[in-house]
Amino acid sequence: MSGWRLALRAQPKLRIDARALQPATLAGSTRTEVERVALRQGRDAVPLAELFDIDRIAGSTASQLVVEGDLSRFDHLGWGMTDGELQVLGSVGDYAGAAMAGGRITIDGNAADLTGCAMRGGRLAVQGDVGDLAATALPGEMDGMRGGTFVVHGNAGARLADRMRRGTVVVFGSAGDFIASRMVAGTVALGGRCGAHPGWGMRRGSIVFAGPMPQVAPTFVPLHSNVDVFWQLLARNLAQFGGPFATLAQRRVRRHAGDLAVLGKGELLVPE
Amino acid sequence: MQINRVAIDDTFAEAFAMKATRIVVTAHNPRWAMHAGVSATGFATSVIACGCEAGIERVLEPHETPDGRPGVALLLFATSGKELAKQVERRIGQCVLTCPTTAAYAGLDEGEAVALGQNLRFFGDGWQISKVIDGIRYWRVPVMDGEFVVQETTPVVKGVGGGNLLLLCTGTDAALAAAEAAVAAMQRVPGVIMPFPGGVVRSGSKVGSKYAALVASTNDAFCPSLTHLAPRSELDDAVRCVLEIVIDGLTESAVAQAMRAGIAAVVARGAAGGVLRISAGNYGGKLGPYHFHLRPLAGSGP
Repeated sequence: MSGWRLALRAQPKLRIDARALQPATLAGSTRTEVERVALRQGRDAVPLAELFDIDRIAGSTASQLVVEGDLSRFDHLGWGMTDGELQVLGSVGDYAGAAMAGGRITIDGNAADLTGCAMRGGRLAVQGDVGDLAATALPGEMDGMRGGTFVVHGNAGARLADRMRRGTVVVFGSAGDFIASRMVAGTVALGGRCGAHPGWGMRRGSIVFAGPMPQVAPTFVPLHSNVDVFWQLLARNLAQFGGPFATLAQRRVRRHAGDLAVLGKGELLVPE
Repeated sequence: MQINRVAIDDTFAEAFAMKATRIVVTAHNPRWAMHAGVSATGFATSVIACGCEAGIERVLEPHETPDGRPGVALLLFATSGKELAKQVERRIGQCVLTCPTTAAYAGLDEGEAVALGQNLRFFGDGWQISKVIDGIRYWRVPVMDGEFVVQETTPVVKGVGGGNLLLLCTGTDAALAAAEAAVAAMQRVPGVIMPFPGGVVRSGSKVGSKYAALVASTNDAFCPSLTHLAPRSELDDAVRCVLEIVIDGLTESAVAQAMRAGIAAVVARGAAGGVLRISAGNYGGKLGPYHFHLRPLAGSGP
């Protein structure tokens, strides 16, 4: 078992599909095998040795892969990952962490669109911002993210967690329009402000607004019954993320049920 | 062997494997948690005719419960996992779901999962909501005081049922006082319940009966009114009243610890308190896999 560190030498001419960079697979490979792993670029395949300087990580016991450089033109990083640790010291392109089922991915920079799309498990963390359609569904699928934990320390774009089915999404910064639109279930927690139409068409699920009050649509109704027990369970779980969520359990919560235009068993939770 | 002039019989309690689970019930305040706990563990003294044996293991402080509210820990024991599952669902459904402000959670981390709120959710008539937090599914059932929050399943483990102590005393007052002291000490041991009323059973039983229909009958060996009448009698004229404490525990060591605590509390009262002997019930050692020998438990100190 060995960990690998890849340092990007130069920007590729065309965008690269980096889904072959799997920590668990590379961990069991020899240096020659790693150098020969090919990433798709258009119709071609480019071996890793052409793009990266490759070094072993001394003393790593887990399946670990560290990738250094500005990988904004690299898409599908960590696609379908099932275990191991992938750390990107830089920004990434689209579909980062999409369809991942296990393991941990940490992105120190920003991620582009469709980050964490169709995620099923594991933990995905982005230190910077993510683009639009994060934690959403793959084209043609009815449900999107269905498991795992997705943390964004920066801001998220529009349509965060569209059609989300299960799992937890935490955004420390702000989110764009249509946060958790058409949500099926799951939990989204937002530390900053959100855009227009939060929870548009949400069927079930919970959106927690730890920051400023969102603009609640008329298809949501305020309910005043006691939800303290559920709130404690949820808030204590979100408190582990720290930052704006650390003191959630000490705050009283107001609840708006909706979207009554569809099933209406979802909720917007607004701590006071 | 004598401690404080209380004779410790050279015998053992014979106990059996049972399926067990712990349920944590919380409520708005300790009083209502206790109402729910007492109700849910009622009519659960013996699996002979109650379906399960159940009791309140201990009171829980707010910092010990998943939602930060006061609560109680309940233990339930049954002869089979299937019966336990049925009892759990019925008791939580009829006695906890119905009790104001309660919530119910699993009280163990590992074990084979049986339904806790899984079927109770249908009481919500379609309005129920599910939430998965950290891999655990909870159900929120709309009820008139707000929501009944209940974990979907609870783990079932192999527990131990039928640890026991027999207190042979000079009379009724002495026996009651000794038994109460023992039960109080045993209630402080985690992982056990004493399922009989007040933790004490006066009608200790033996296996079998002259009547074909009865599986159990009075333990004639320890009935003072049969001292010179029953051929199996273990008593002499000095023993006028015998009471039994039965212990069910999540582990063998919990039962042993409870028995140790009970014996210590009784011998502390000594012969001066009217306790003559401590004995225990067994079936010759052939039926139950767990044997709790009294003398080692008595000798190991409080």
